[in-house]
Amino acid sequence: MWQFIGRRVALGVLTIFITTVAVTLLIHLVPGDPVQIMYAQSQGTTPEQIEQIRTSLGLDRSIPEQYVRFVGRLLEGDLGVTVRGRQPVLDLLLQRLPNTLALAFSAMAVAAVLGLPLGFLAAYRRGTMLDTALMTLAIAGVSVPHFWLGLLLLFAFAVELQWLPVAGTGPLNLVLPALTLGLSNAAIVARMTRSSMIDVMSQDFVRTAHAKGLPKAMVLERHVLRAGLVPIITMAGLQFAAMMGGAIVVENIFAWNGVGRLAIEAIFQRDYPMIQGFILVFATVVVVMSILLDVVYALVDPRIRRG
Amino acid sequence: MLADQTTADLASSPLETGRPEARSGFAARLFRSPGGIIGLAIIALLVILAVFADSLAPFSPTRMGAGRRLLEPSWRHLAGTDEFGRDMFSRIVHGARLTLKIGAIAVGISLAAGLTIGLIAAYARGIVEAVLMRLSDVLFSFTETLIALACVAVLGPSLENAMVAVGLAGIPYYARTAYASALVEVSKPYFEAAIAAGAGPVRLVLLHLLPNILPTMVVVATLGLSSAILAAAGLSFLGLGAQPPAPEWGAMLSAGRDFFNRAPWLMLYPGLSIALVVLAFNLLGDAMREALDPRGAD
Repeated sequence: MWQFIGRRVALGVLTIFITTVAVTLLIHLVPGDPVQIMYAQSQGTTPEQIEQIRTSLGLDRSIPEQYVRFVGRLLEGDLGVTVRGRQPVLDLLLQRLPNTLALAFSAMAVAAVLGLPLGFLAAYRRGTMLDTALMTLAIAGVSVPHFWLGLLLLFAFAVELQWLPVAGTGPLNLVLPALTLGLSNAAIVARMTRSSMIDVMSQDFVRTAHAKGLPKAMVLERHVLRAGLVPIITMAGLQFAAMMGGAIVVENIFAWNGVGRLAIEAIFQRDYPMIQGFILVFATVVVVMSILLDVVYALVDPRIRRG
Repeated sequence: MLADQTTADLASSPLETGRPEARSGFAARLFRSPGGIIGLAIIALLVILAVFADSLAPFSPTRMGAGRRLLEPSWRHLAGTDEFGRDMFSRIVHGARLTLKIGAIAVGISLAAGLTIGLIAAYARGIVEAVLMRLSDVLFSFTETLIALACVAVLGPSLENAMVAVGLAGIPYYARTAYASALVEVSKPYFEAAIAAGAGPVRLVLLHLLPNILPTMVVVATLGLSSAILAAAGLSFLGLGAQPPAPEWGAMLSAGRDFFNRAPWLMLYPGLSIALVVLAFNLLGDAMREALDPRGAD
């Protein structure tokens, strides 16, 4: 168990380390002069000012020096300031992060609440019309783009029916984005659940349980469900990462004030300190969450707890 | 790609490919699946639209007309017209060309780089394997969205850059799958026999490993086309990919949302087109996977 957690934490630390390196190099990969590009949109920046900015960003030093400086400031919780507005990047990101997390978690909840029972039902009724119908729905759900589903839901529930607000950041505003992100993921969860349950149902220990005369419900609950859930929980970390990624797009449809909107704005404005900060914060959240979810998985699966 | 399809699943499928009867069995199984046929039909339609876009589209995809702005769908304008009076049907037909191109280039990048990394890691083992695969794990955990956004942030928003970004973002997944499949092959007796017969590294990798993992990679690439098209359309939707006036479906959808109430068809048809094409590649990929590995099929 500790060995397992140790390995996961080590991979996580490696990931964060590579992220810091990538983020430092990122600005040097920009074709052309990043400072010129950053300030191309603001009028009347003199060459002296450009040089001053270059110095303040540390771009006049060697790359290893820049890296050490970047990490040093990072450890003090300083990710620099935005190009326009000169606000602290980390504060802006941390202020918006709870909104993105709320969206990602509600979407995961939607996906689990819909996907798990429907997937289980399809596996249980395998080969029937119900199974075919559910799986057809699931593959359609996987294929519909978030951004289109979001617009359709917005059109139906906010514009036509006027049940829900169109845009903003409040509890009611969360409903449509969470559904948008959650529905397509419910389809993925349902597909995974079905195939995992079918796998388990055909195993010897399930046949033995039936053979020794256990009631069907008990076999399903004690044997099938428990064993079948393990591979699904394993995927929870990846699912969370996918939800965070999807949130970036969905936030922009519903004007939900999360980090994704900051990121897209920053890319348009070529605000490199903000882009760097976003990548770092996003990667850290994904790494920490997937380690936590893996620990949960280890607790559920005794085979890993022992090893 | 579909997140429910794990690397190990695909890698462990016992593929019998060299023999002709196995291959015809594959085609027969593929054509017996309704999903596979529907997928192939939609893809065939997409290819026809892309190839003959110039003759099939009744109007130019970019010609504007002040007198025919935001017209409702009619016999003359099957999908209506947009805010510049451009014929939406013609734009969607031309969009098919862009969609195929985006998918092919993005998947081409992911597949070429992923195969190279996966094969080298599985063949070389040791430190090379450790470095390449840990790096793939790390990049994989970043999610494709983040990698694609970072690439666009560096390169700047444009359709070409979006294709490259989506292609680069897919590499870790393709590398992991190629690696896992190749590892299975490396442990098989025929591979040891080839080593014993004195085959060199190039021969071992290109003539033994590559052909044997190719079927798996073709399935991965087919499913990958759906996710690449989806991801690139998403970038264009956000304004980070195709720029106006390109008739790219994601960008059209994004432009259409400003006319939400007055012209709902502007967001209906481009979205539907993306969904259908993505669905087609998902159906075909699923059918191919089941045809390759009949254990999972009913």
